[in-house]
Amino acid sequence: MKSTKSTMTRRRMLASGLAAPFVSMMPGVLTPARANETVKLQFMYPVGVSGDINTIISGMISEFNATHDGIEVEAIYAGSYDNTEQKVITALGVGEPPALWLPINSSLQTFLGLDALEDITEQAKADDIYDDFIGGFLDTAISDDRLYGLSFQPSTPVLYYNKDAFAERGIAKAPETWDDLLETAKALTLRDGDDLKRWGLIIGGGWHDWMFEGYCRQNGLVPWEKDKVLWDRPEAVEALSFWKTMVDAGCMAPASTWQGSANDFMAGSTAMLYHSTGSLTNLRTSSPFEVGVAFMPKKKQFGASQGGGPIMIAKNQSDAKKEAAWTFARWMTNTQNQAAWSQATGYLAVRKSSWEQPEMQQYLTEVPQAEVAMKQAEYSGAFLQVPAYSRARDTLKSAIDRTLAGEIAPETALSDATTEVNREIARVLRRKKG
Amino acid sequence: MSHAFARARRNEMLLAYALLLPSLVFLAAFTYWPILRSVWFSLHDVLLGDPDIYWVGAENYLRLLDDRLFWKVLSNTAFYTLTTIPLSIAAALLLAVALDSKLRGMAIYRSAFFYPVMIPSVAAGMVWVFLYAPGYGPINEALTRIGLPRLDWLYDSKWALPAIVLMSVWKYSGYFMLILLAALKLVPSDLYEAARLDGVSAWHRLLHITIPLISPTLYFVIIIGTLHSYQIFDYVYVMTQGGPADSTNVLTFYIYQNGFQYQDIGYASALANALLIFVLGLIGLVAVTLGRKVHYLGER
Repeated sequence: MKSTKSTMTRRRMLASGLAAPFVSMMPGVLTPARANETVKLQFMYPVGVSGDINTIISGMISEFNATHDGIEVEAIYAGSYDNTEQKVITALGVGEPPALWLPINSSLQTFLGLDALEDITEQAKADDIYDDFIGGFLDTAISDDRLYGLSFQPSTPVLYYNKDAFAERGIAKAPETWDDLLETAKALTLRDGDDLKRWGLIIGGGWHDWMFEGYCRQNGLVPWEKDKVLWDRPEAVEALSFWKTMVDAGCMAPASTWQGSANDFMAGSTAMLYHSTGSLTNLRTSSPFEVGVAFMPKKKQFGASQGGGPIMIAKNQSDAKKEAAWTFARWMTNTQNQAAWSQATGYLAVRKSSWEQPEMQQYLTEVPQAEVAMKQAEYSGAFLQVPAYSRARDTLKSAIDRTLAGEIAPETALSDATTEVNREIARVLRRKKG
Repeated sequence: MSHAFARARRNEMLLAYALLLPSLVFLAAFTYWPILRSVWFSLHDVLLGDPDIYWVGAENYLRLLDDRLFWKVLSNTAFYTLTTIPLSIAAALLLAVALDSKLRGMAIYRSAFFYPVMIPSVAAGMVWVFLYAPGYGPINEALTRIGLPRLDWLYDSKWALPAIVLMSVWKYSGYFMLILLAALKLVPSDLYEAARLDGVSAWHRLLHITIPLISPTLYFVIIIGTLHSYQIFDYVYVMTQGGPADSTNVLTFYIYQNGFQYQDIGYASALANALLIFVLGLIGLVAVTLGRKVHYLGER
């Protein structure tokens, strides 16, 4: 573990050395007059997956500070995505936002609604962002053709499975369709009388609405538009009914938590797990068995919603800070750093050039699991980018939970949730009209 | 003569007001002003992070009536209050009576039962998440040992709220015990001696001597307990985040969700005012029912 870390740092040192002349060549960056003053930036970021992400990010930031005179980035670990967003919004409310932050991509409309984001379209076009960033990832930071962030840690959920448990039950390969999934989960569930020893499947709780959107996409429905959600469509109802079938069959846990579900998988309490690809490195290296990674099984097609998010730059700050913030965001997403970040975590590198790096190619031969989410990303899109998304997420989670607990039927749960959320979205949009 | 007396009295009053002024400033700035502001905000569409506010009249209050979750949250809060207070006070009273003796080593027991009060609530919440864990949690292990079925506790919408109640009883009864223990020390021991000579059983001594004589303290503990219990937020935040299926969502947490997670400050303010009415109603109810029964030794 220690040796990997030190080679990564060397690689990053090398990378920043290569990037430095390039950065200083860029227009408007670090003009000599300003070079003597240190610009201080606050960067708020969350930890959204399983593993020691905080150490990795703060390591990157120390390295940035060591290699960039005139800019000092203060790393503020702000908790979960929700916590981070709340801290940023509260800071916006008193007119002192951090220079940059890293939210979930779904929050794009929320921040645009507050007029909080710097439009970085022109800088990005002058640079290689539009050429080298993978289009599907960059799309999640675009609204009305304008770019409001640099994708930093895109992810999709993937299906993790315990290869030992599969071998023990004589199952050769990961399930490919919903029907396969149900059968496989049944076969993998272990009970001792009434006592459950191992679940067949856990869908990581707290983000199960994110997985649910994947299920809708697999059933041919993107369950939202710019100003409404479409959870009452038959495709969505069918998806939730399928979850209920799995719970009723006793092979899927009706509820779980985000960190708890990852721990359950590593402890062998569940044989399959839906979790973020960002948890890959931790799950792979901390599990005492071989971990398989597969696409989330399909119904009509494969499908997933992208998690993770872009680094956003505050609009309400001095030009000097904006420039420095751009330099930092650009550095965090440069070819070498993205390749190293992807290997350290399992998040998907955002640049095509990162995937072509020799180290990355080498890594993919050693850890072919890392490529699964990248291939699945082809079938993915942004996650619930509607106004009031945070309330929308909680309402959907509650509808799913109550359905799986047997309190309400899938159709009623989803149609109530849809009515409720669309009413809230309309309320938020009313403000814009004045 | 009387003129000088009046002046002295006035000076005394002025001094009293002057001494009260600093705390009044703080109360006004951090309590009364926010209350007024929340009433004002509750009549507006207010988005956290956006300086513009729009008048909407009673809309936020009408939303309350239509909000399924609000009623669920209200009933969760009521359930929590109505179970936690009687249970923890009953436990505290039994502990206090049991520990009110002059046997050696009692101080150790008292400290042991008071100990949960000293643990920070977030840390206590984390520990109980572990204790309640369905797979490897000690509570389920213990249930299995004595032949009872295992439960999913915090993952089960039927058991999550009772699980938090149980933990709160553990956390608060030590505190109530300490207050009740102090009250017990003031009960004249000759009353017990006389009762014992007359052959009154321990249960009847508790019922007819102890409880009436410490009733002012019991009343105080009930009021404090009520205030504690509607304020519950930390355990919900740490242990369940209101889930599963909203079964542990309580008023304070719902206000937080609306205000800070959903940026809906107007609605959060309307909820906060509903909470204020809920608490005033509850305290009023306690005052007119139990308050009348309080027995003050020697004076009324």
